[in-house]
Amino acid sequence: MRFEIDYTSEFKYPEPVWESQNLLRACPTSDAHQTLLHYELRTLPVARVHSYVDYWGTRVDAFGARAPHDRLSIHARSAVETRPSGPMAAAPAWKRLSDPAFIEAHLEYLAPSRHTAWNEALRAEAERRAAPAGADIVGVVLSLHRMVGSSLAYVPGSTAVGVDVNDVLRGRKGVCQDFAHLLIAMCRSLGIPARYVSGYLFSESSESEREPQVESVKVKTHAWAEIAIPGAGWWGLDPTNRQEIGPRHVKIGHGRDYDDVLPLRGVYLGGGDHKLDVCVSIRREAPAQQQ
Amino acid sequence: MMLARHAEDLFWAGRYIERAEDTARLLDVTYHGMLESPLLDAASAWRELLELLYLEQAFAAKGQPVTDSTVTEFLVLDPGNAGSIVRSVARARDNARNVRERISTELWEAINILFLELHARDLRADLEREPYQLYRFVRTRCQTISGVSAETMSRDDGWRFLLLGRMLERAEMTCRLLSVRFGRSSHAAVPSDVHYWIAVLKSVSAFEAYLRAHRAQIEPQDVLEFLLLSREFPRSVLFALRASESELVRLGGETAPSRPERLLGRLRADLEFMDIHEIIDNGLPAALDSLQHGILAVAEAVERHFFRAAAPPELHVFESV
Amino acid sequence: MTSDLFTDYQRGDFFDEVFDGQGEIRPHYRPLVDRLRALPSDELLRRARLRDTILRNLGITFAVYGEAQGIERTWPLDLIPRIIPADEWRHVERGLVQRVRALNCFLEDLYLGERAALREGVIPTWLVQSSAGFCREAYGIPVPRGAHCLVAGIDVVRDAQGTYRVLEDNLRTPSGVSYVLENRATLTRVLPLVFAQHRVRPVNHYGASLLSALRSLAPASASDPPRIVVLTPGIYNSAYFEHAFLARQMGIELVEGRDLVVDDHVVFMRTTRGLSRVDVIYRRVDDEFLDPAVFRSDSILGVPGLLAAARAGNVSLANAIGNGVADDKAVYAYVPALVRFYLGEEPILPNVETYLLWEAEQRAAALSRLHELVVKPVDASGGYGIMIGPKATEEELAAVRKAIEARPRSYIAQEVVALSRHPTLVDDTQRGGGRIEGRHIDLRPFVLSGEKIEVIPGGLTRVALRKDSLVVNSSQGGGSKDTWVLAADENGTSG
Repeated sequence: MRFEIDYTSEFKYPEPVWESQNLLRACPTSDAHQTLLHYELRTLPVARVHSYVDYWGTRVDAFGARAPHDRLSIHARSAVETRPSGPMAAAPAWKRLSDPAFIEAHLEYLAPSRHTAWNEALRAEAERRAAPAGADIVGVVLSLHRMVGSSLAYVPGSTAVGVDVNDVLRGRKGVCQDFAHLLIAMCRSLGIPARYVSGYLFSESSESEREPQVESVKVKTHAWAEIAIPGAGWWGLDPTNRQEIGPRHVKIGHGRDYDDVLPLRGVYLGGGDHKLDVCVSIRREAPAQQQ
Repeated sequence: MMLARHAEDLFWAGRYIERAEDTARLLDVTYHGMLESPLLDAASAWRELLELLYLEQAFAAKGQPVTDSTVTEFLVLDPGNAGSIVRSVARARDNARNVRERISTELWEAINILFLELHARDLRADLEREPYQLYRFVRTRCQTISGVSAETMSRDDGWRFLLLGRMLERAEMTCRLLSVRFGRSSHAAVPSDVHYWIAVLKSVSAFEAYLRAHRAQIEPQDVLEFLLLSREFPRSVLFALRASESELVRLGGETAPSRPERLLGRLRADLEFMDIHEIIDNGLPAALDSLQHGILAVAEAVERHFFRAAAPPELHVFESV
Repeated sequence: MTSDLFTDYQRGDFFDEVFDGQGEIRPHYRPLVDRLRALPSDELLRRARLRDTILRNLGITFAVYGEAQGIERTWPLDLIPRIIPADEWRHVERGLVQRVRALNCFLEDLYLGERAALREGVIPTWLVQSSAGFCREAYGIPVPRGAHCLVAGIDVVRDAQGTYRVLEDNLRTPSGVSYVLENRATLTRVLPLVFAQHRVRPVNHYGASLLSALRSLAPASASDPPRIVVLTPGIYNSAYFEHAFLARQMGIELVEGRDLVVDDHVVFMRTTRGLSRVDVIYRRVDDEFLDPAVFRSDSILGVPGLLAAARAGNVSLANAIGNGVADDKAVYAYVPALVRFYLGEEPILPNVETYLLWEAEQRAAALSRLHELVVKPVDASGGYGIMIGPKATEEELAAVRKAIEARPRSYIAQEVVALSRHPTLVDDTQRGGGRIEGRHIDLRPFVLSGEKIEVIPGGLTRVALRKDSLVVNSSQGGGSKDTWVLAADENGTSG
């Protein structure tokens, strides 16, 4: 599918800001499942943007605003083409997880991180949920994925950025970051490598694959997980929406957790407490070639 | 060209040292004015002094009666009073320490020693027993600092900011002194108490210089003229403004005069070409008031022009989903 | 009574820098010892007091600015210098240059290259990835000439056989060179005649060498000459004296984070005449405090946007970000392997024998003789948190054993190095002029990666002033000696 994505952030400050320095991670990546066709960033006040690819492979746009301002607008437009991924057909045995080469290749996604530091209770819960699937890795992951999706209530604004993943499990509610962190923590607690993905989801209310219409939705940036399946690469799962990743998911980048790939961070001097509005609109385009 | 932050530190070091010295002088003269003229109402003399220093409200907030000891303690050693001598010296020292690499060891030591010695003394006992010694001690130490800085600092931008700070502070303090002494309707009639005018001159160490200029004739009008308009005497308002101006000009070096330079130039010119009788006839209080505000505006303009670059520290970190 | 200070000197069971195994004075020390022996005891006392006066006048202090009263504590400098003959120094110098070259290669490979050393298994990937010093934000930040460690302080010790070994690498913000320079300035005035008798290689060119090295780091867009500043955390930092000293020596501005600002990814200094561009920053602020926009901190020590400016190639940072991975105590054990891998050479200076407790065999062997070994947590610095087996109690040994078994990847074990000893004046300002006793020493040479890698002759010799102590850090009661490297054609013969 082809999408045009408009990401907009608007800062408003009660008093003039002397200076701000920002790091934006809003650009869709190119990989086996999608190709970035076009990306453009504009800011107001106008700023020189320095772009680079970070350690995790995500494109970062760095820019600052030095003239006093009481408003900062960030507008990133991109066009991306996604491809469906096939179903997960692999069924590797559990012991493949202990293969030293496999572990070595996924070290950073096996260790706990700031937002995915599990406690004993979480690990025990993961084990409990995994037990029925036995030694089938894919089955275990699916059980955890379903558990997270069904146990947690999606409640926007219920959690602040950085809530403890053990509290998410206990509280049984959260936003997409929390769903993703919980799934990741549960997988890692059982020795299954998992990573955090930031991206956009073209969510639509109707299933209308057969009649691709040009349609536009307003969303927030979304978060999901990718699980490493021995011999089968990374498997994308969206626990918030209880589905596998498909062509409606547009990936920006991945990391150990939210900290590594958060969409926008920075500092500003002066200004008082800021008000931030983030708005993403995604428009589905007719595909370039008709099948 | 120097770091804006260092320039600001030197500017304020100059202001605080001058402030400490001038506060000591004012205390000295008020105290001795009372000793020499026992008819003077002590409480109102102290109140006048607090007013002069814009500290009447701060003192009133303490809820203490106006007496010799409460007021002098407040002005000398009270750490809660931002204008006390002890606080002014502490701040001057902080400023100097920040620029320690730029000033001579002697200058740093002179300031540091004043700070350490004030701390080592039992100031309360000093004020009780021999306040004269204490005020004189502060005065002479500040004069030492002044002398050491003049002898050990190259005449670079750092020196200019130090001097600018001192001179602007001096101009303002002298203005205030005059506006309290002269600017009240109760003194519109010329007081016959010559001791009063002697005390005023002595508060700025101008007594002997004045006598040489006016030959033992102590007329209030002449005293006013001397302290406002003398070009020779280093503590007159005009002298201080002219000294400030010449440092500002040297700090400029651009094609057009800077805003502080323009403000100060105009202020100085207005003062220089004033006729003293005109001032008195048209309203002394207003004239002194506007002069004082003019000096404050220049100080603010200096801050904004040279130090504005020194950023505010409030840093906000944010993240967003 | 004629005081022959050395009559009662106990060499002990250690390598002694001055006295050899037969109790004879090593040739390169003879003039010094003869002279000291000839001094009457009150003369030595006078020299010690002169030294104190000079140090006070020079204002050499440490950890002083943190004290509210501005009272200065002077630096403890022993009167007796440490002397290194030319051929020994040549050996150490070659070893240091080689080691720093390999470390620079490793850092370049890790942050800007193919990570070959990891791929080839020269050093385990897990070790690097889990190292607290591994800085993912450093990835992709260009470093001119690959000079990641512009200034390195490599701690070197001598074992019981007199072999020089590297004890520790300090690659982030190594300090101490200012004391090297001030020690020399002081000692030449306190012992002028002895100094004149030897041909001691000078050290006072350090400022010029450092400046030159910083210049060679300038980005392509820099002006000529490049504008360089020293970035300090400020007057409350314990090494502030050195920051100010070096800025003065090099004739460049000393700034704090708030004096700098980044505009369109270019760094500027705030001056009274507006903004002035900066090309190279010799930063003595730790990585985590450098840029609040990148590192999770509301620190005001840093400069928002600094890393983006470095990435854009508009400013160079010395030392580069992320060096902590290479002076990690666990990575230390692999440095000889890195030398072989990147340079294809045998390491000239060996490490102290180190056991990797995450390797089962080495762990088992170490646990069986814990009371004989030194155990170091992989993350400590400043000499804290180390267990010295022979001095530990049963409880301490048991606790460490438990910790190792729980987290073997967090510890290394090393043989106790019987650090060499050097005659040192004890109680030198007491009546009678003190006496000479042996004290353990180490050496911190400073290595500059300019156009060529250069080592300042000698470096900081640190002395454990407490009797029998092996801990030389100044923050824990250490002192220092002036270090004399003799010029090449004088091989230790007197005259």
